[in-house]
This record gives sequence, C-alpha cells and structure tokens, in this order.
Amino acid sequence: MKFLKSFLVVFLIMLPISAFGEKAKTIEELAAMYDSSSCKECHAEIYAQWEQSHHARSLMGVLGGLFMTPLAMKDKTPFSPDDPSKATLDTFPCFKCHLPQAVVSADDSFAVDFANALIAQDKERLGQLRITCIVCHNTKAIIHKRSEGYPEANVLYGSKEVAAHEDARFKKIKKSSIMDHAIMCGQCHGMGPNLEFENPVQCATLYGSYMHNYLSKGGQKSCQECHMQKVDGFADHLIAPNWNDLDATKKLLQEAISLDIDTVGYDWLLKSKDHKPMVVVNTRINQNAGHRIPDG
Amino acid sequence: MTAKTADGKEVYNKERHYHPQATDCRTNKMLYGAQVKTQYIRDTSLQPMETKDESFEIMLPEGVRTVDVTVSLRYEIWKPDHMIEIHKISKKVSLDR
Repeated sequence: MKFLKSFLVVFLIMLPISAFGEKAKTIEELAAMYDSSSCKECHAEIYAQWEQSHHARSLMGVLGGLFMTPLAMKDKTPFSPDDPSKATLDTFPCFKCHLPQAVVSADDSFAVDFANALIAQDKERLGQLRITCIVCHNTKAIIHKRSEGYPEANVLYGSKEVAAHEDARFKKIKKSSIMDHAIMCGQCHGMGPNLEFENPVQCATLYGSYMHNYLSKGGQKSCQECHMQKVDGFADHLIAPNWNDLDATKKLLQEAISLDIDTVGYDWLLKSKDHKPMVVVNTRINQNAGHRIPDG
Repeated sequence: MTAKTADGKEVYNKERHYHPQATDCRTNKMLYGAQVKTQYIRDTSLQPMETKDESFEIMLPEGVRTVDVTVSLRYEIWKPDHMIEIHKISKKVSLDR
C-alpha cells in the first residue's frame, strides 16, 4: 500500500512533465514536438522578428558556429564522451538554456543523435532545433511550479489571459506570473557559474549583473522594456541584439555607450630646463544599459 | 588609441580591454568557453550607470609638435576580426599656439 501510494505520488508529479508525450529520440522528433511554425499564420510579424533572433538559432552562436561541438569530441571538455555513441543528456549542460526542451522532452538517444550531428557539422539538421515560441510561452513560462503547477500541454502562457486561442493544439492562453518580468529572461541569461552540473559551467551572467549592479543603482527597467520594445503595439521578438547584424547592433551599442575625449598639448617641464613635448588624451565612457557590457 | 604625425607615422598606440575574465580555478590561465569557465577573477567591463575614465600621456618624439589623435571604442564579437566600431573620435592636437 505504501509502495502504491509512493507510486501514485511519483506518477502525479511525472504526468505534467511528460505532458508532451513520449520522449524525443532524434533531432527531428524533438523539433516536431516544439515546432511553432503554425504561430505565424496569425502572428506573422512577431514570427518574422523571432526568425531573425538568436532564439531561432540558439545552437549556432555568432556567424553560424556550432559552439557545442567540443562537447561531442573526446577529451575536448570535461563533459565529452569517449565516443559520440556514448553521449547522454548530461554530455550537454548547455541544453539547460540553449535547448531547454531537450531537458524535459528528450532522452539519451536524442543526445547520441545530437552528438553525431555535431561531429558531422550537420547544420541543416541541427538548425531545426530552436528556442521556439513554445519554449518561452510554455516550457519556461512557469517557475513557481509548487505553487502554480507545471505548464499544461495545451496551454500557452503570456503576459495576459486570452479566453479562446484559435489553434488546433494550444486552445488557451493563461497569464504567466513572470512573462513581463526580468526573471523570465533571467532563467537563462544567467547569474554566474551553474554549479548543479558535475563540472561548473559559466555562460551568461547578465541577470546577475542586472540584479546586483543595476537595480542597486536605482535602475527600474525590466529586460523586456529595453530589449522587447513595442513595434506596432506588440513586443519586438527579435530581442536585439542580433550579433550577425552589425549595423543594428552598432546602433544599439551607441545608444547604451557614449565616448568623449579631451586633449591638451604642452611642453612638460620634467626637470629644470628639460621640457618634454607632451600630449594628454583623457577619455570618458558612460554606460547606461541595465547590465555589464560585454557579458560572458 | 593612436597618435600619428602629419605624415602618417604612428608615434603612439595603446589599448585598453574592458571585459570579464575567468579561469577554471584549477590554474591561473584565463579561459574562454562556458564549459570550462568557473569563476571571474577580474572584471574590467563597462558597468551599468558607471563612467570609465582613462588618461593617456603621450611623450612625443623630438621635433614633433602636432599629432592626430584617434580614439576608437570597439566591441569584439567572438573573434578580434569580427568587431563593431561603436565610436571613433579624431582630433588634431598641437603644442603650439
């Protein structure tokens, strides 16, 4: 009876986690489970913005580089397997943020397929794996799981509730407690070393910088207020910067960072009767973003 | 920043680097790569709502009384040759009135 009770508790906890059904075993299976292409039928502009974003190529980094490749190569990192065929989900700690759907919806067979694709540098297959609409508006939309439960399989979460949502799969929009708060982004755009892994992993520390060195100076804007400013009434899902768009990124950096210089030229009297020709250049850089620049 | 004479000869060249710097704590070698970085050991990045002041003193060679000073603030993305020049300011500075 005690065993049955424990089983029921475990079952009830597991049920929402596996609400997407069977675990994906291949790249194509996981891509299909989180495919958001139907969203563009009604949200074409937002979808087009997202397609240009780093979220849409979360495994590619800058200029198409597959930055996770060393993880699949023997002896290249502390996580690397002896052979791609021995890869597991633990081989890829970067999944935590760069492919969070793999953590909840894939198994070790997927990790082997993923490792082989990395070794083959198969960008076409790997490019199917993206931080899609479903990842932010479902998988990552609830952080108070003990209070609010796990994300429901047929529900999307937004900054406000929508009673009816015309979609074959996601028929409701519920309000997420965090969707318009900085912590929504902070889940991945991180706080420092990730110590839950068997070796530390340190990627983005933007949210830590925001919390400890922006709010502390009286800053009050959320990530979304700067990086998802409204375009035609809707939040910009490009979520700039797009590091591959150098002109737009330059503009963004110019808005956040100013440079001024002052100069003076004179004959410096180093010692008696010994003038030295001297130029002094004083530079002043001001930074008004909500986090350190650069980060990483 | 650089200083050049009227005929283009560079008489000064200095860089400052602003970025967080990390090791894996097992050696003192700075490392890049999330899968090996463990702890920042130094952070010279531009902090929010802060001002970074620098002063560069350029002792000119004998006979040089005027230089063209150029200050370039750049953001390197991933590798040094992929960069954005955020600001570039040039100024002629003379010791003579």
